[in-house]
Amino acid sequence: MAERTVPANPLARVDGVVVRELPDEVLIYDLDTHKAVCLNSTAAEVWRLCDGRRTASDIRKMLEKSAKGAVPEELVWLALEQLDKDKLLVERVSRPAALVGVSRREMIRKVGLGAAIALPVVVSLIAPTAAQAGGSGCVATGGACNVGGDCCSNSCLNNVCA
Amino acid sequence: MRKLDRLGWTAGLTFKSFGVRFGVRSDDPRSLEHLTQYLPPGTREAAPGVVERLYSIRLGGEAGRGVRRFNLLYANHVRLARTTDAEELFERFESDLQLTIAEGARRRVFLHAGVVGWRGRAVLVPGRSFSGKTTLTAELVRAGATYYSDEYAVLDREGRVHPYAKPLSVRDEGGSARQRKVAVEEFGGRGATKPLPVGLVVVSEYKGGGTHWRPRSLSMGRGSLALLEHAVPARTRPAEVLETLEKVVRGAIVLSGARGEAAEAARSILERAS
Repeated sequence: MAERTVPANPLARVDGVVVRELPDEVLIYDLDTHKAVCLNSTAAEVWRLCDGRRTASDIRKMLEKSAKGAVPEELVWLALEQLDKDKLLVERVSRPAALVGVSRREMIRKVGLGAAIALPVVVSLIAPTAAQAGGSGCVATGGACNVGGDCCSNSCLNNVCA
Repeated sequence: MRKLDRLGWTAGLTFKSFGVRFGVRSDDPRSLEHLTQYLPPGTREAAPGVVERLYSIRLGGEAGRGVRRFNLLYANHVRLARTTDAEELFERFESDLQLTIAEGARRRVFLHAGVVGWRGRAVLVPGRSFSGKTTLTAELVRAGATYYSDEYAVLDREGRVHPYAKPLSVRDEGGSARQRKVAVEEFGGRGATKPLPVGLVVVSEYKGGGTHWRPRSLSMGRGSLALLEHAVPARTRPAEVLETLEKVVRGAIVLSGARGEAAEAARSILERAS
């Protein structure tokens, strides 16, 4: 992974998003990209703590306090990088030098051994257009196709939907 | 549009459905009589006036020797169909109109889903076309559930689902794109009249006859995403849609998993919904 240069005082994005708080999750809808994101409790907690002043280390301490147990810094970075990827932070964040070059898999392995809270999980989808949601997101019989999945009938013969 | 206006129209009607006003004009009054069977549930005639969408239908009539006469359908100034098969034209009209209403409806959120009522709660089966939604809905009705819709779950702001009881659109054997309308009574069922809170959401797709339905439960957040994927106004009214979906998932169980034959899945679904 390439090293980033922006200092890590992450700030959660609140403009241009719709936020719905659920009991153990947060749903965020990005009005610019039409991407809907579901944060599990850990990712949501990190996102809430991103106030632009706290560092990743501060966030880790806050998590340890609420979880009443050890939270590795890698867990915070896993969450921050997922939030960053889904454009839920105002600015991009950069890992500390000690974690540069560490693969995501290695970080997950390390977190899995020592964390008092669940791994951060972010699930997303692109909201459908009206036509896609209305069921016409596929090509009708006779239309051009490349694979079966392009066609409403799931059958593409000689590049024409059967 | 002006060019289209000059074509000469002999009949026209204005309708309103879920707050959406639309008009239909034609060069043949008989076509307007015929299209009433393609109007979505909840449509009523309205006083003439400004409409959000204007459909124009020109029927080609009998074909002459060596001459093909096309039937034409326009929505506003956009041509939707040019076909020698008049039924195809009306089906295209129906499909476009349903989507227009689903997207523009006031105070309602339309999800592409089959819906039945069971013991005072609604069962939602969201899914795209060809996902086996109608087949499963029909089996649920055969198993004793009350029919709400095989096309749209119409949700109010409290997250309750309202009847949208059009005839079921059944595809012929072999998964043809062409559908035929079948009254719910032919499945031994009856249509609903009252809104219901949602008790169960079944996110499922047909994966072959040998597949047994072994669903897993989705969290509220993931359940909301699963429903959002089928919400027609997801992009145009996301705040309202998410608020409505939240109300649905707070009161419902959301199950996800591939299924096999609809009859077997329907029995399992109703057991879980009980």
